[in-house]
Formats: sequence, C-alpha cells, structure tokens
Amino acid sequence: MKKILIKGGTLVFPQKGVFQDVDILLESGLITRIGKGIEDSRAHLINASNLLVGPGFINIHVHLREPGRETEENLLTGSRAAARGGFTSVVSMPNTHPPIDNPILVRYLLLRAKEIGLVNIFPAGAITVGLEGKEMAEYGLLKEAGVIALSDDGRGVQDARLLYLAFQYAQYFNLPFILHEEDENLSRDGEISEGKVATLSGKRAIPRVAEESLMARDLVLAYRTGARVHFTHLSTSLEVELLRWFQEKMPVSADVTPHHLLLIEDDVLGLGTEAKVKPPLRSLEDQKALKEGIKEGVISILASDHAPHPSEDKSRSFSEAPFGISNLEITVPLYAKALIEEGIINWVELWEKLSYNPALFLGLDNKGILEEGRDADITIVDPGTRKRVEVSNFESQGKNCPFENWSLPGWPVYTIVDGRIVMAEGSIVESEFC
Amino acid sequence: MKWKHKDLLGINLLSKEEIEYLLERGKYFREFLDCSPKKMKYGEGYCLVNFFLEPSTRTRVSFETAGRLLGMEVVNFTSEASSFQKGESLEDTAKTLSRMKFDVLVVRHHQSGVAEYLAQLLPLHVINAGDGMREHPTQALLDLLTLQRKFGYFQGLKVAIVGDILHSRVARSLTLGLKKLGAEVFFSGPPTLLPLAMEHLGAKIIFPVEEAVKGVDVIYLLRIQKERQEAGYFPSIREYAHFFGLKEKWLDRENSRPLIMHPGPVNRGVEIGYSFTEEDFSLIEEQVTCGVAVRMATLETLLQGEEQ
Repeated sequence: MKKILIKGGTLVFPQKGVFQDVDILLESGLITRIGKGIEDSRAHLINASNLLVGPGFINIHVHLREPGRETEENLLTGSRAAARGGFTSVVSMPNTHPPIDNPILVRYLLLRAKEIGLVNIFPAGAITVGLEGKEMAEYGLLKEAGVIALSDDGRGVQDARLLYLAFQYAQYFNLPFILHEEDENLSRDGEISEGKVATLSGKRAIPRVAEESLMARDLVLAYRTGARVHFTHLSTSLEVELLRWFQEKMPVSADVTPHHLLLIEDDVLGLGTEAKVKPPLRSLEDQKALKEGIKEGVISILASDHAPHPSEDKSRSFSEAPFGISNLEITVPLYAKALIEEGIINWVELWEKLSYNPALFLGLDNKGILEEGRDADITIVDPGTRKRVEVSNFESQGKNCPFENWSLPGWPVYTIVDGRIVMAEGSIVESEFC
Repeated sequence: MKWKHKDLLGINLLSKEEIEYLLERGKYFREFLDCSPKKMKYGEGYCLVNFFLEPSTRTRVSFETAGRLLGMEVVNFTSEASSFQKGESLEDTAKTLSRMKFDVLVVRHHQSGVAEYLAQLLPLHVINAGDGMREHPTQALLDLLTLQRKFGYFQGLKVAIVGDILHSRVARSLTLGLKKLGAEVFFSGPPTLLPLAMEHLGAKIIFPVEEAVKGVDVIYLLRIQKERQEAGYFPSIREYAHFFGLKEKWLDRENSRPLIMHPGPVNRGVEIGYSFTEEDFSLIEEQVTCGVAVRMATLETLLQGEEQ
C-alpha cells in the first residue's frame, strides 16, 4: 500500500482540543508519523497548506436504503456520497426492506461494503424484530455478525416493558442504543411542527411532546438499567433540558441534524416537501436551544439523518410526500455555516463532535484521534473557500435537498480511508494505482 | 439429632447442622438404594399424599418411590381430575385431605408461599416440592448430596449457576444451601433473567458466563422455559443456546474439568448441545438417584421427629 504524506497543513487534534502546524505520514492503513518537516520521497504527497487535517468524520445516522430500495440509494451511491462529504465512517440505519434484524443481513451488508471499499460502513441492528416494536431482536447474534449499535430509527419503541428488557439484555453484549423518539399516539398522522405555520396552513401538527415524552421515559429507563443510550435528531428546547438534567446522573448523549440548525417551521412554506422531515422543523427558539446545547457540549455529536427519497415521491402532495432530507455530502459545510460562521464553536470543537465523540460512543478505539498507531482515516477540509450547493451533482441518488444553491464554507477536499485516498478535490478516486 | 420442624418448607429455615444431618441420612439411603431387594418397614402404617397442582413427573414419582420404599402408603392427587375443576378452593381441598388423616402432604404449587400456608393450616407434615419461584428444598438436598458424594466437602467449593435465576426456585434453594455449607456461588445468564437483587441470596453475579465459570468446580445449568421467550426475556432459543448453553471452552482447562449439573430434564440443543455426550454430564443421572435418597431421608426425619 502506498504511503501518503500530508504536508503544510494545520492538524486538528480533537482529543486535545488543539491545532498544530505539522505534517503527517500514513502507511499501511495507519498513522505512522506526526511531526514537523517529515520528508519521504516514496510517499504520495498532499499539499495541505491553508487546509485543516484531522481524524476522519464519523456519521452515526445515515440511511443507505440497501437492501430493498437500491434504486433510491445503495451502499455504493451512499459510500460515494459519504466520501465526498468527508465521512470516513457511517452508521447505516436498519429500516431497510427487509430490516436489519438478523445476522445474515448484517453479514451481507458488510460483504457489500468490503467489495465497494470506499468508506467504513457500520450497520446498526434493529431493536425489535421487523422494527415492529413487539419482540427483541437477537442482539448477541447481531453483534457477532458485526452490528455496532441498536436502533429502530424511523420509529420509536412504543412498549416500555420491551425497551426496559432490551436495555438490560443488550448490556450483556455491550451494545449501545441510538434512539429515535416518537410517541406514535401523539405524532399520529402529523406533517409539520405544531405552531404558527401548522395553524395558518392547516397542516396536521406533530406536537413537541411526541418526542419529549418518549425521550423522558427512555432517560428514566436507561438510568434505572444502566444502558448506554444516545438520542438522535433532537429538535426541541425541552429535549436539550432533559438531556442536560440527566447528564449529571449518567453518561448519555445526543445528536442533531444540520437542517434543524439551519431551517425552521416557516421555511416549510417556501420549500414545500423538501422541508418535510421527521422530527419536524421547529421554531426559532427551539433552534437557538439546540445551538446553545451544542455550544455547552450537552449535544456532543453532529450527524446527518441523511434520508434519500426519489424525486417522484417528494413531488407528490405535501401530505403524501415522504419525510426526509438528503444531505450526506454537504453535512460538513452546513455545520460550518450553522456553527462556525455564527461563532458558536470553532473547527476543533466541530471536529470533536464529528469524529472524536462519535468514535468514543461507538467504541471505535482507533478512530477519531490523530496519533501515531491509530487508523489512517483522515479528512481534509478547506475552511476558507465558499461553494454553491448543486443538488443535481450529488453522488447520492437522493436529490431531495432543501439547500439547493446555498453558498457554504468548509468543504471537505480529501477523504482518506484506511490509508487510501477515496476522495480528492471533490471527486471520487475510483481506484488506486500502485 | 433432635428434629424440631414439623415440616420441610425451605432450605432457608434449616441450620447448617440440620442440612448436614439430612445429607448424612441421605447418604445412608443412597447406599441402601444400590442393594436389592430394597423394601424397608420403617414407614409402615404412615400415609403420604402427593398434592401436586403443577405438572411434574420426576419429583412426584421420586416422592412416591421414596414413600413406598419406606413402606408408606402413597396416594397421588392430581389437579386435572379433581374438585379444583369444580371450583373448590385450595384451603377446602387441603383440609379435606387432612381430614382423611394423611400423615404427610407433599405439595407443589405455582404460587410462592403455598407450602407455608398449608403448614400453618394443617396438623400433618408438609413437604414443599416446589412453591412458585420460592423454594424447592428436596431438589437442593439432592444436589447437595450429589456434590458431597463427588467432592466430600463444601467449604470453598465453587459453583456457577447459569440461566433463568429469576424464576428458579431450584437456584434459590441450592444457593441458600451451598452458602450455609460454606461454598461459593456465582450467577450468570441473560441480565433480564438475573436482576441485581438476586445477589441477596448470597451469590455473586458475573457477566459474561465465560467469566463466571472460570475456575469453578461445578457448572449448574438451569432449564430454560420456552414461555420466558414468549414473555420477552430473551429473543430466541437459538440465541439462548449460542450464548448461554454449555460451551466446550467453559470446560477446557489445564487442571480438572468442571462438573456439569442440571435439575433435568435437559433441553438437548439448548442448555446442553448435541456435541456433548452423556458422559460429559453423567452427574445428572446421579442427581436423580440422590433425589429418591434425600426424599427418604426427609420422610424418615419428619416422622422420627413425631416420635420424639
């Protein structure tokens, strides 16, 4: 395997919270040297002046739609989108057709991911069989096959006893939970957030309590059982407060999506179905609370909830269109706009939430850290140059994105996975010449 | 020894000396069982009724055999063809049996505490053959006798009990007995079937099973009931078998291999896989024979207490 020498850049060390202008050498899938003035004539050279170089971004919430809906997204198109988005690892959600609730499907996904060989794909397994919320899936066998976490994402687990037992049982196998919180008796057939826009437009409302009440219940369940849980896509201010309160008592984490930081309920009026998403876009006050939570560190992980859908589905009437936003390749620039341009956090903090913290949560000991001997998963970002979003150029098959034509800073320019360059200057590197 | 209990309700109520006495008598009867003919006259003129309100073959037949070998008259009461079907209460039925002047009533019931309730209600000797999730003292005694015959000591003996501890009266009684005799007990199994409060029995909970069985002398596997899966405690039989069923690597070690015990009947392919031979768990057969012996010892001891 070819050596890669990245020179002249600013290295980001999220585990220490510092930047340093030093070089880094990658060899045989590992970081072999970090230091000033490294020279190696046999290494492939990347000139990283004016660029930020840090451990690869890890996205703990994406939908790759395989198996079952490969025409909407699949492991190849999703991997290409991830590589372009600067993500070296993604956690794929199990709400596929069939759902990832048994070990054979996990093995299939991992084999496919290996064949494609672009980014690391870590499948999440289902909490319940068929995501139906009735019976526990086989966590031990799923873990042996390779799942990294458990999630019924797309649905909340409605039955408290089932989740209570699941929280106990999963600890035997050391599996964490990624929880989508939604009380279906409260969200019912709601379309957008309760509030001004729903009132004026007559659209059916999803109350905040749909998410908040289930999250409160599950915080209590996790506290009493000792399960490691993570709440995905927070959207309300009370959720941030609940999290803050429980973080004093136990390890518990949460993530947001970029769209909840950049759009609010009012945007649904102009953007239509492209802004139809679950949880729904909420008010400006909720958005401020999410940003405050990020600044404080209460929200410690930044994810995507990349949810590709075909255009013909999104072009149906508002009520008929599916929920979801495709954003995997612009997630990092969207966060750069929402958080760095607004002065909420800096690049090293952003890196911590996009790489170090997700690695820690997932137990990926050799990722999320720049250090000799760790995995050579590296993302290089150009913090200075702005570019316009062109949805039609997405590698993802999901063109359902409300950010068309937005001017964003902070685009990833190189993605290196296991010591191999998979994306350079925004283009996928098809294969390595040795 | 002067026996002071009218009934045998649980190991919890027995002192170390009392358990040792029953084991000593059990040992005597166990040796006796190897002789033929094996009829004793000790229990002649005494009547025993098996009052089983939960399905059981092994324990009931074992008590019946023990009673008959001692020379007792034995009557079996089963709930299927009984006045229970007509709605008679437990109290009325038990009182009726008592008025028929049985000397010993052996009871099994799905509710915890029924044996104690009947013992207070009725003048005859009550032997608990399993009450709900509480105790099954003669099972513990037979397990202890099996261990004593194999090892000759309890002090410092290490026993790991694996499986559905939560619902197991076998695990409760055996743990109480082992602790009283100075052994060390470790619990492991699916966390849903092994809540932390189980440590109140005096055992140490260790996850995963591989850790719990490290260095133990005995691995005691509990029978897993299919209905526990239906009640959501674990996802599937195949997963249970894969992670909580006996593994060759639990036994494979440089020094002596741990011995395998099980209350029976074994779910082949679940607690113990098909790759194991009968020889790997031959102690289970000895447990059955010891069962008759300790039940003879129990009957003898209770009836003797009456004479004193």
